[in-house]
Amino acid sequence: MALRAAALPGGAAFFATWLRTDNGPPHPGPIAPPEPPLLRDYQPAFFDRSDFDALQAFTEILIPTDESPGAREAHCAHYIDFVLQASTEAAPDTVRHWREAMAALRQAGFHAADAASRAALVEAMSRQERDPGATHPGYAAYRLIKQHTTFAFYTSRAGMIDALDYRGNSYNASFPACDHPEHRTI
Amino acid sequence: MPTAHDAIVVGSGACGGWAAMELTQAGLKVLMLEAGARVDPATDFHHTFLYQMDYRGRGRPGLLRRYSGSERNYRIMLDNLENPYTTSPETTYSWGRSRCLGGRTLHWARATDRMADYEFKAASRDGYGMDWAVSYADLAPYYDRIESFIGVSGERLGLPQFPDGPFLPPMALNCAETIFTAACQSLGWSSTHRRLAQLTRVHNGRPPCHYCGNCVNGCEVGAMFNPIAVTLPPALKTGNLEIRTDSVVARVRMNRENRAQGVTYIERHTMRSVDVDARYVILAASTLENTRLLLLSEKGGLANSSGTLGQYMMDQVSGGGVSGILPRLKGGPSRLDDGKSAGITIPNFQNIDRKTERKDFIRGYVMNATGGQTEYPQFAAAFPGYGSAWKREIKSRYVAQARVWIAGGEMLARKENFVELDPEVKDHWGIPVLKIHFTHSANDHKLIADFQQRAEELFRRAGGEVMAGSPDARAPGQTTRPLGGSIHEVGTARMSVSPKDGVLNSFGQTHDIPNLYVFGGNAFPSTGDKHPTLTMMALSARGCDHLLETAKGRKV
Repeated sequence: MALRAAALPGGAAFFATWLRTDNGPPHPGPIAPPEPPLLRDYQPAFFDRSDFDALQAFTEILIPTDESPGAREAHCAHYIDFVLQASTEAAPDTVRHWREAMAALRQAGFHAADAASRAALVEAMSRQERDPGATHPGYAAYRLIKQHTTFAFYTSRAGMIDALDYRGNSYNASFPACDHPEHRTI
Repeated sequence: MPTAHDAIVVGSGACGGWAAMELTQAGLKVLMLEAGARVDPATDFHHTFLYQMDYRGRGRPGLLRRYSGSERNYRIMLDNLENPYTTSPETTYSWGRSRCLGGRTLHWARATDRMADYEFKAASRDGYGMDWAVSYADLAPYYDRIESFIGVSGERLGLPQFPDGPFLPPMALNCAETIFTAACQSLGWSSTHRRLAQLTRVHNGRPPCHYCGNCVNGCEVGAMFNPIAVTLPPALKTGNLEIRTDSVVARVRMNRENRAQGVTYIERHTMRSVDVDARYVILAASTLENTRLLLLSEKGGLANSSGTLGQYMMDQVSGGGVSGILPRLKGGPSRLDDGKSAGITIPNFQNIDRKTERKDFIRGYVMNATGGQTEYPQFAAAFPGYGSAWKREIKSRYVAQARVWIAGGEMLARKENFVELDPEVKDHWGIPVLKIHFTHSANDHKLIADFQQRAEELFRRAGGEVMAGSPDARAPGQTTRPLGGSIHEVGTARMSVSPKDGVLNSFGQTHDIPNLYVFGGNAFPSTGDKHPTLTMMALSARGCDHLLETAKGRKV
């Protein structure tokens, strides 16, 4: 049985882990594969340079690089551009929403603003999230960019593995049981 | 003229796979016809992280309008353009289907629960509908046989409404499930590990689960039950099974003695029509496809002397649920919480006897709960804020996610929910498609409203905090409208003691045509509240025994 399963993709890694856990040191934790090179040298094909630079700056305000990677390391703006350049025929509404969002961003002065002004602008555009009574003409653009940036970030290796430490999609010898006695009472 | 095959089995899912194994092991020559493609887990299934796919699981824009599922598993789903169906204007039903060797068991939820007599005999208790033509005692030996062979992990509870089986050890509970278990105890509700056809130790030569959480994308080691890992290999080993994939069955052909002569199928790619004959024909192509084939095979429907063919379509009702976080788990370490893709089960505790009878609705439901880390933090985009503080809050809540959902809610059988052939629309092969008429009753809505209250009660007792943006976030007491299904469609050729009341007898044999059997959910006179696959398989196994007995006695 072990030989048969070891011949499957990933099977050898599973059995190596299994055997090591039963007889040797503790489970070392899953090892996620590297990210493919798709976005590493990607050149924007949907946005012009001005819009792309503005979008990239916006995504880095939303998900900054701090003690863990942010939108820059995850290539969020590149990923959004990559999806949109493939959406022209299949998802025209999405494409239109993005054109409108970038126009709203330009209208709000984001493209030409310095870093401090951009930060202030994002704060103003986002206020309705925390205060339903607040309004801003750029709120829809903020929500669209945030929604796509969040997806781009937490589905990237930087977001999923480095920031959140996702443990699944791996070969494990056992399922980790809750070992907290305090969780057994309400 | 002698035929090359003793039996034709149409479909290769849970029921077709079992039938092929049992009949070939008894010495019958079986031809299995599968409409979809051959699937090889060694080459077709593997772990893939979202970031390894160009479109992160969503597929190239537009792709998944054609296919069900995700970028990872659409190949084991179905091409919706080639396989359309239609609905009446008031119908919102969504028919979840697969066409491939192994069928829906390649990506199923693996929940493997026995039904109980309070479900089989519900009509006698509350006066609605029709009792099953079998009892728990009739099916118990088949439940035993199937569970022993396929391997089901679980915990023995001793509850009459949730019968036990010869279980493998249960999977461990994660932190959220442990808290929900304590909450159930506090409310006086029974709960247990979700019972799953997923191995926790080596079983019949198959390796145990490695807790990757990838079950819906196909299991590459065969740790979860599906025919390509479990029932088809021993069937092939007998030398008595021939499998033809990409073979779209169009109808059952009859002879002059009112016996099924064989079937006609169309080669999926060449469009060539092929006739094959056998002594027995077994339809195991999934519930609604089985009924479609009967409707296609004779004007007014084959084996339809009762006039009930197509009627009483059901699917366990869904809607509502609660999700958010368990604040006690906030900020905790990352753990492999979704590796078993499971949870806890809270068996039905209402309308199971006179003492638990409800005045406002009949029948019942089973709940599930789980929590912890998931592959993608679905709540994050809706969570207010941005910046480093937002990132820290997302990570803190990511490990504390929690959810209560309905595992199975009984939907009442009603004659006005039915399927028929669409008079105009045909599929890719020119075969008329099904038109579905399907709405929910007032009782279905009351049952879901009650579930919603109980789910919120459990969530509150566990200390849960509903969170905007979570999959089931909604105002207290609010349920989904319109209600949904559970991809547990059953009925449309129900079993009956009398041929006047249904299409099938308790062995899955059509009342009208002795050598024509129908295996799947067709026979169900009611949905019950358990996941249906195990009971479909038990009925199939019992039907196979019956078929083999008749074959020996040459009654056909």
